[in-house]
Amino acid sequence: MNRAFRLVRRRALTAVPVLLIVAAGAFLLLEAAPGDAADAYLLSIGGGDPAFVAALREQWGLDGSLSSRLWLYLSALARLDLGWSLAFDRPVRDLVAERLPATLWLMGAATALSFLLGSALGVVAGARPGSLADRLLSAGSLAVYAVPGFWLGLVLIVVFSVRLRWFPTAGIETVASGKAGLARALDIARHLALPVASLSLIYLALFLRMMRAGMAEAWRQDYALAARARGLGRFRIAVRHIARNALLPLVTMLGLQAASMLGGSVVIESVFAIPGFGRLAHEAVAARDAPLLCGIILVSAVMVVAVNLAVDLAYAALDPRVEDGEARA
Amino acid sequence: MIPLRFCRRTVLRGTALLLAPLALPARLFANGGRLVVAADSEPRNLNPAIVASNGVFFVASKVIEPLAEASYDGRDGLAPRLAVAWEGSADGLSATFRLRQGVTWHDGKPFTSADVAFSALKVWKPLQNLGRLVFANLEAVDTPDDHTAIFRFSRPTPFQLIRNALPVVSSVVAKHVFENEADIAASPLNNRPMGTGPFRFAEHRPGEYYLLERNPDYWGEGEPKLDQIVFRVLPDRAAAAGALEAGEIHLAAFSQVPLADLDRIAKVEGIAVHTRGYEALTYQLCVEINHRRKELADLAVRRAIAHAIDRDFVVRTIFLGHAQASTGIVPKNAPEFHEADVPAYPFDVERANALLDRAGYKRGQDGVRFSLRLLPAPYFTETRQFGDYLRQALAAIGIEAVVVNNDAAAHQKAVYADHDFDLAVAPTVFRGDPAISTTILVRSGTPAGVPFSNQGGYENAGIDALIDEAAETVDTAARTALYRRLQQLVAQDLPLINVAEWGFVTVASDRVANVSSNPRWAVSNWADTALES
Amino acid sequence: MSVLARLARTPEGAAGLVLLALPVAAALAAPFLFPADPLAIAGPALAPPFSDAAFPLGTDRLGRDVLAGLVHGARASLMVGLAAAFVAVAFGALVGTIAGFSGGLADEALMRLTEAFQTVPGFLLALAFVSVAGGSLPVVVAAIALGAWTGPARLARAEVLSIRGRDYVAAARVAGMRATEIALREVLPNALPPVLALSSVIVANAVLVEAALSFLGLGDPNLITWGSMIAEGRTMLRSAPHLSIVPGLGLVVTVLGVHLLSEGLAEALATRRARA
Repeated sequence: MNRAFRLVRRRALTAVPVLLIVAAGAFLLLEAAPGDAADAYLLSIGGGDPAFVAALREQWGLDGSLSSRLWLYLSALARLDLGWSLAFDRPVRDLVAERLPATLWLMGAATALSFLLGSALGVVAGARPGSLADRLLSAGSLAVYAVPGFWLGLVLIVVFSVRLRWFPTAGIETVASGKAGLARALDIARHLALPVASLSLIYLALFLRMMRAGMAEAWRQDYALAARARGLGRFRIAVRHIARNALLPLVTMLGLQAASMLGGSVVIESVFAIPGFGRLAHEAVAARDAPLLCGIILVSAVMVVAVNLAVDLAYAALDPRVEDGEARA
Repeated sequence: MIPLRFCRRTVLRGTALLLAPLALPARLFANGGRLVVAADSEPRNLNPAIVASNGVFFVASKVIEPLAEASYDGRDGLAPRLAVAWEGSADGLSATFRLRQGVTWHDGKPFTSADVAFSALKVWKPLQNLGRLVFANLEAVDTPDDHTAIFRFSRPTPFQLIRNALPVVSSVVAKHVFENEADIAASPLNNRPMGTGPFRFAEHRPGEYYLLERNPDYWGEGEPKLDQIVFRVLPDRAAAAGALEAGEIHLAAFSQVPLADLDRIAKVEGIAVHTRGYEALTYQLCVEINHRRKELADLAVRRAIAHAIDRDFVVRTIFLGHAQASTGIVPKNAPEFHEADVPAYPFDVERANALLDRAGYKRGQDGVRFSLRLLPAPYFTETRQFGDYLRQALAAIGIEAVVVNNDAAAHQKAVYADHDFDLAVAPTVFRGDPAISTTILVRSGTPAGVPFSNQGGYENAGIDALIDEAAETVDTAARTALYRRLQQLVAQDLPLINVAEWGFVTVASDRVANVSSNPRWAVSNWADTALES
Repeated sequence: MSVLARLARTPEGAAGLVLLALPVAAALAAPFLFPADPLAIAGPALAPPFSDAAFPLGTDRLGRDVLAGLVHGARASLMVGLAAAFVAVAFGALVGTIAGFSGGLADEALMRLTEAFQTVPGFLLALAFVSVAGGSLPVVVAAIALGAWTGPARLARAEVLSIRGRDYVAAARVAGMRATEIALREVLPNALPPVLALSSVIVANAVLVEAALSFLGLGDPNLITWGSMIAEGRTMLRSAPHLSIVPGLGLVVTVLGVHLLSEGLAEALATRRARA
C-alpha cells in the first residue's frame, strides 16, 4: 500500500512540469496560427462590417498582448478553469465534460475488446508456434495491422449499415428517443459496434502479436523447459505459466497506446459522427478555437498520464519484483 | 435573399407545387409526428435577429418569425408573417408596417408594435450583421397603436431595399425578454430562442440534436402540422446520405447529400429529391482577384482568365447540372435586377492565349508565363473542386497556379485581412437586393478584414459613384436601372470573375409533405410541413 | 551471407520485399508512366473501372485518372513516410544522445520535454500543427515527425547510458577527446542500430498518419495522396466505391510491406547475431 502511494506521488510530481510544458506549448502553437476565432466566425455567418469585427475581438479578449494572454491562461488553469470556447460560446470545461463520456465508452470498449481478444488469440497462436493456427493468426493480424482505421470504418459503413442495415450509420444513440436503462444501453451498444471495431482492430493485432512473441520467447526459458520435463501438458503450461509472464509487457503496452488510441478516435469519431472528444478536437481546429484546442490537448495529456499511472499500479500489483517507478524503464 | 417578381413560369410551377399536396387524400398526411432533419452545424449564437445567416435560420426560423417571408406568388415576392401590410413613403424617409393581431409569444404574452420597435432599434440596427447596413439610417420607430410600426429614417432609404431585405433582416424578438439584458449580443438567452413561430425551442444537446416542439397557440389556422422537429447534428456530408437511406432521418437540406450521390439516391425507393425552394438563397461561385499584383491589374489578363474558364464544364461536372453559368454579379434568378445584356467571355483557350501573348506575357522554357497563388474558400466541396479545376484551366493558358488550402480562419485572414493571395475562389451570396451584399464586392474603400468584400484593391471611380447614387435613389425604376448599368460596368472591367450560380438540393423521404413550398423553404417556418403517418 | 540475402530467405522478408516492390516501382516509374499532372482532368467524370482502356481504374469526380493518382500517390506516401521517419529518427537520436551524454539538469529537462511530447496524442499534435502552419509537404513531414521523435530519443538515450560506461568511451576520454567529439564519433554509431530498427515502424506509422491528415483535408492540395483520394471518394462511397477502395488498398499493401520487411529484418539480424 505504501509502495503504491510512493508510486503515485512520484508520478504526480513529474507530471506537473510535463503538463505545464504541454499547456504552454499548445498555447504558443495556436498563437502562431494565422487568423483568429473572430475571423472564423465572420466567415461562418457570411460577413459583417469592420466595427462589428473590432467589437467581437474586444468582447472575446483577443486584443491583449501575447504574454498577457498566456499568463491569463495559465493562471486560470491553476484554478482548474480551462477557459472559454469562442466557437461554442461556453466554458471549455463543460464542453469537454459533455463530450468525454462518448469517447471514454468508445476507447474503453476498444481497449477491452483489443486486449482481451488480442491476448486470447495470441495465446492460441503462441501455444504452438509454427502451427497452422499460428500461421493464419500471425498473417491475418499483420494484414489487419496495416489497415487504416478510417478507411476500415468507411468500408464497414457501406457493408453493415447501408447494405445490410444491421447497424446505424452514425451517432452515439438514437436522438431524443426517450429510451432509458437497458434499452438505452443496447441502443448505444448498437451505435458503437462499428466504430469500436474500426478503432480496435489495429490494437487487437498489436496485442495478438505481442502476446505471441512473448510466448514464443517464453517457451525457450528454463521454467518452461522444466515444466515440460516434468511432463505437464503443453496447453496447461501455455496458459498457466507462459501466458501469465507474457501478459506483463502487454499491460505496459496498454499505457503506451492510450495516447495513440486517443489520436485515432479523432478520425473515427469524424467518420461515424460521434459527438465525442475527438470530434470536438476536429471542430476546434476548424473553428480556430484556441482556448478549446488548448483545453483538449491538456485534458488528453492528463488522461494519458492517468492511464499510465493506472498501468504502473497494475504492473506493480502483477509483478512484485518491480520497484517504484521502474515498471516502464 | 428575396425573390422578386418571378417570371410567370416560375410562379406557375410554384402554384402547381403548392396545390399538389391538396390533390392527395387528406388522411395520408395526418397531423402530428416527429420530423428528423440533418443539421450540419451548430451556430454559436442562435438568435436570427442578431445573426442573419442560413445556418442560424435553418433551426431558428421555426421559432422566431420575420415580418414577411419570401413567396412564389405573393405581391412583391413576399408573404405576410408578423406584418400583414407594408408601405414606404415617397421621400424614402419612412416605412409603415401593419402588424398581425392576436399573436402571442411562446410565454403567452401578446405580440405588439413595441416588440418590433425594440427589435429594430436595439437589435437589428446596432447588432445584426446585415441589419447594420439596411437600417443604417433608421432613427426612430413610432408606435401609434399596438399594431402599427412606423420606421423613420434620417436619410432617404429606398423602400425597395427594405422590402427585399424583410425575410432576412426582420426576425422579431420579444422586448420583455431582452429589455433587461445588459449586453444583448452576449446574452445566454440567444441560445434559448423564444418567439412567435409554429415551434417552440425545447432542447439543444451539443453535438447531438436540437429539439423543437409544436406551439399549440400558433396564429396560423391548423398549423403547425408536425408535433416535433429534431435537427440531428451530422457535420459530415457523407453521413447524411447514409442516415437518410438507413431511414434514420427524414430530410437533408442544403445539399447535405453530396451532388454526386443524387442520381443514385433518387432511385432509392421512398426517397425524393427536391431541387426547388432555394431560389432566394442563391450562391455565386466567383474568382476574386488581387489587383495589387501587376499582371492581374492588366485587364487583358483578367479577360484571358475569364476566357480560360469552361463554365459549361463547371456546371456539368462540378455541379452535376445543379447550377447555371453566371453572366455577372447579379444572378439570373433575381429577375428584378438581372441584366442579360453584358459583355460575355465564352470558353476559348486560343483567344485567351492570344490575349496574353499580345499583352506581352511570354511563355518561359517550361511553358509558364507567370505563377500565381490560388486560395479556394474552404466552405463547399464545390469551391475546392473549382479550385482544382481552375488550376488546370490556368495551366492551359500558361499560368501556373499553386493551390493553398486553408481552414476558414486562415482563409479569411489571408484573403480579406492580409490580402496575401493572387486569386481566390469565393462563394458569395446574393441576398435579394444588390445593396445588401453585392455592391460591397466591387466598391472601393471597405477596410481590411471584412469577408466577401472588395479586398483585391480594385478602384474604379465610375463604379463607386454609381453605387453611391443608387444607395439613395428612392425611385424603384431609377434605382433598378442604376444596378443594371452596374452589372454592365463590372462585366466590362472584371474586378472579379463570376463563374456560376447555384441553389441547393433537398433530399427527403417521400413521406414528408410540403417541401420546397417557398423560395427560402429550408430557412422558413415549416408551419405547413407534414409527415405521412 | 549479407543481411539482404538472409532477409530474402525469411518468408516475411520475401513477402515484404515483393509487396513493397509494387509501390516503390510505382513511385519510381510515376513520372515516366504518367508524365502529365495526376491532378489534371483527363477524361469524362466518374468513368467506372475496367470500362475504358485509357483509364483502367476509371476516373474520379472531376475526370482525373484514378490509376495515375494511385501511382503518383505511392510517390507521395513513400516520400512523406521516409522523410518523416528520417527527421524523427535524426532529431530523436540527437536529443537522446545529448540527454544521455550530458546527464544532470540538461538530461532532466530534455526528458521532461520528451515526456510532454509523449503525453500528447501524436495525431492531435499533428492536426494542430498542420492547421497552424498550413498544409504543405514540409509541414506535413514536420507534423508527423513531431509525434514520432520521442521513441528514438528514449531509445538513443538508453543506449548511450549503457554504452557510456564501456571501455572504449573511457579510453577516448582518457585520450583527451572532447565531450561532443566522443558523442559523435564513438557513442552515436554504436547506439544507432537499435534506433534504426525502430524506423520501419515509424515509416509505416507516418504513411498512415499522412493518409489520415489528408483524409481530414489537411494535406498538401497540390499533391495527390492516397488519403486525399479516399477523402474525395468518400462522398461517393455508395455510388463509386472504387474511388475510396483503390487508394485504401494502396495504403494496406505499402504498410503491410513495411511491416513484413521489418519482421524479416529482425529475424535476419537475429540469426546473424546468433551465429556471431
